[in-house]
Amino acid sequence: MAGVRLFGTMGAEASFREEDFFGREEELSALTRAAADGGRGIGSSFMIYGPPNIGKTSLLLKLAHDLRSSPETGGIPRPFPFYFSFSQILSHPLALSQHFIQEFLWQLLRFLGDGQPSPFDPEGMCDQLSVHGFTGCREILAAHAKYTAAGDGLSALVNALSFPFAAGGELFYPVFLFDDFQYTGKLQGVTDGAMLSILRPYIKSGHYPMFLSGSSPGRVTASLKREGLFGTFQMLEIGGLSQESSLRLWQYLCERRRLEIPASLLPRASKRLGGIPVYQRMLVEEIFFRNARVTDVVGLENLYALSVTEGKLNRYWREFFENTFPERARRGRAIRFLKRVLCDRFPLDTVEGALSLMGASQEEGEAVLSAFEFKGLMKSDLEQLAFIGDPVLADFLFWAFERGVLGKGGSQVAASIVQARLSHVEPESGQDAGHARRVAVVKELMRKWDLREVPLLLLDFGKFREKFGGKGLLEVVIGMEGEQVRVRLPKISSVSTGYRTHRGGPRFDFDLVAYGFLEGDFSEENLVIWAVDVVPEKNLAARAVEHFENRCRLLALEKRLPADRLRKWMLLDETADPAAVDLAAQYGVHLSHPTQVRLFLNLFGLEELEREPEAPRPSFTGAPRGEKPLEYELVLPMKADSEMVAARVAEEVAAFASVDSDTVDRIKMAIIEACINAFEHSASESGKVRLRYLLSPEKIELYVQDDGKGFGAGKTPEESKKNRGWGLKLIRELVDDVEIVTGPDGTVVRMVKFLDAGQPGPARKGEGAPDAPGADG
Amino acid sequence: MTGNPTIRTREEGETLVVYVGGYLNNVLGEEVERVVREQFDAGGRQVLLHFGETRLVNSIGISFIIGIVEKVMEREGRMAFCDVSRINRELFQITRLAKYVRSFDTEKDALEYLARTV
Repeated sequence: MAGVRLFGTMGAEASFREEDFFGREEELSALTRAAADGGRGIGSSFMIYGPPNIGKTSLLLKLAHDLRSSPETGGIPRPFPFYFSFSQILSHPLALSQHFIQEFLWQLLRFLGDGQPSPFDPEGMCDQLSVHGFTGCREILAAHAKYTAAGDGLSALVNALSFPFAAGGELFYPVFLFDDFQYTGKLQGVTDGAMLSILRPYIKSGHYPMFLSGSSPGRVTASLKREGLFGTFQMLEIGGLSQESSLRLWQYLCERRRLEIPASLLPRASKRLGGIPVYQRMLVEEIFFRNARVTDVVGLENLYALSVTEGKLNRYWREFFENTFPERARRGRAIRFLKRVLCDRFPLDTVEGALSLMGASQEEGEAVLSAFEFKGLMKSDLEQLAFIGDPVLADFLFWAFERGVLGKGGSQVAASIVQARLSHVEPESGQDAGHARRVAVVKELMRKWDLREVPLLLLDFGKFREKFGGKGLLEVVIGMEGEQVRVRLPKISSVSTGYRTHRGGPRFDFDLVAYGFLEGDFSEENLVIWAVDVVPEKNLAARAVEHFENRCRLLALEKRLPADRLRKWMLLDETADPAAVDLAAQYGVHLSHPTQVRLFLNLFGLEELEREPEAPRPSFTGAPRGEKPLEYELVLPMKADSEMVAARVAEEVAAFASVDSDTVDRIKMAIIEACINAFEHSASESGKVRLRYLLSPEKIELYVQDDGKGFGAGKTPEESKKNRGWGLKLIRELVDDVEIVTGPDGTVVRMVKFLDAGQPGPARKGEGAPDAPGADG
Repeated sequence: MTGNPTIRTREEGETLVVYVGGYLNNVLGEEVERVVREQFDAGGRQVLLHFGETRLVNSIGISFIIGIVEKVMEREGRMAFCDVSRINRELFQITRLAKYVRSFDTEKDALEYLARTV
């Protein structure tokens, strides 16, 4: 009776139901062909890999079933599929070799039609085999017994693994379906790769197709390469089912459990579960045992979330992590790490980055990564790490993190999962393409802020208006040491869509929620959350600020965040009521104008995001004379290369006026030179230089102001010696008008570039192509 | 903001071609000066400065180029520029560098010019 077999492959075989198997036609076809070719000595071998429980074992068992069912071929040897799983139960080579022989004999006798052989009586099975004309079996058993008695595990293993190749002949040839092959690298006292060394000549012969399967292809392929076998094997990656196969599985499962799920929901359900058959079975069982009805998307999402947070899908992954990481602290660390990678999509592809994110010692971190790789949750190729994108695992990790770290209840987490998914799939009404694009731009921008230092004032429209009497639009301050208003942006580890506790409850429907960590320290103490809203209305009203603040308070309460750990940011569309600006200042809500965001994008090299499709920029062509100019301000520290920031902003400002590229270049060079002059000669105590850009239909005016002692217009003797002192000369040549005013409070350099040749002002210089080399006098 | 100085060199016959990439400021200027000095110390006499990858040049960078030109002239070497952007040609004219060093549109033209003048 099969039931008496306590360990071995029978468990997997017994649980496999051929009628439950759907899809994978292409894979089966390739493997069947390779198995058939073994009879002619041209059989291929395959390495089958994929994440845990994706269906690799089912594929092998289905192949075994199909091969066993293949018709007699009249005198030509038939493929005998020998399925064997190298599980962790048999880590000792003596036990493994003994079991291997028994399993082979048992499966072979079944293949030859011997009913139910006695699995624990190898001698008896040998006798049965002799009826079919196979001799020499007992000699092999005797040799194995001798090695076993001597405790020689490796010899016993060689003996056992060679056994199948001694059998065969006219009736059949073995096709090896070796499952969980990565465990062969963990045999006691046997070096990694020894198994392949033993099998190598048989694999090379082409007469014995060998299909190795496992979750950790990296280890197995390394062994294959060491043995010079890598080229012999074809790699076959197993992923989720195709949608068509997945739908057929849904229909079959629902019929079996007599469930009624609207057909329109099934494609979504397939996608939700990544097309992974085991999840489909579990969700159907969940629905069946809860006696639940699924009538709409919300119902489906609710049942899924319940399963992930407290049902079958939860138990499934919980046991997986408990088995993989028996020690609680390490398990917690592994879960938190993987949550940041899979849920928060932390960009990570190196071991160093992974260890840093994990915050563990190198030894522990590598042990965790090794376990992930062994279990198939991570691939490592040329030291580049890649993690599997299993949607159910990601939700499980979200549950584990929210529950374990933030102490949230299952229902709260389930509601979050449901809401996040519904929000993600169905954008809210009223959020048009422009809004979505702007959200995407800000999202990308937040990602780019990774570890950059940007001060508070950069974002704060309200403070800026207050400081400059409502005249200007922007002040950018870059990295001033000791600056009061300066803050360090957290390392942004995740940017996601909004957040709500549960359906119908308080709405935390922000446009973006970014999770980050101060000082690059991934600890809970340094967790910071950014809540961001992109205001779709033309004019920001106080009521909208109030509403935003209320949601922020709920979010802070929900996340148990201290006041300084929630950063609030609203992005205006065009204008704001003074009352709204006041209220935002009162609540500490940063307001930003799209112009500011565009400048940030430019600074961070992201301008293409905004430019396609481009929002119409204000055009100055034909604008009435005397219109109030656009004004931008920038405060820079006097430190190396800061002038490049000034140049980039100048480029952006010039782009508003649609001037030609030569003019843009001249403006950039002029402001660079003015900045360098200020840096070198002003001896400013504040160490800052203030820049203003005024853009009107007629001209661009650039002001560079320092609070130093001023500088002379000519070269100093030292400069002359070093070929220096070209700055002011260059400026004068590059722009149309220059004015330098030095007073007790410092120096202002005013530079003007006229935009229209017909405008009054000094004659334009340097237009067109420069003179030929050597022509300049 | 500007990244590290990027400089590449290659030898074409007796000419050292120096590719000046990025922002030509004091840091990059020093680097160009060092490379050219080493070429002359090793007995070389011809240098081609390739500005095709140069984004911006500031006055300090220009002062280094002037210093290099002076040294080349002192040692009776030969020098040319190529692939210079319009704004940088303009700067070289303003600073009169263009009077002493010829600029060519392509590296090939510049190398031919230097080969002819050996």
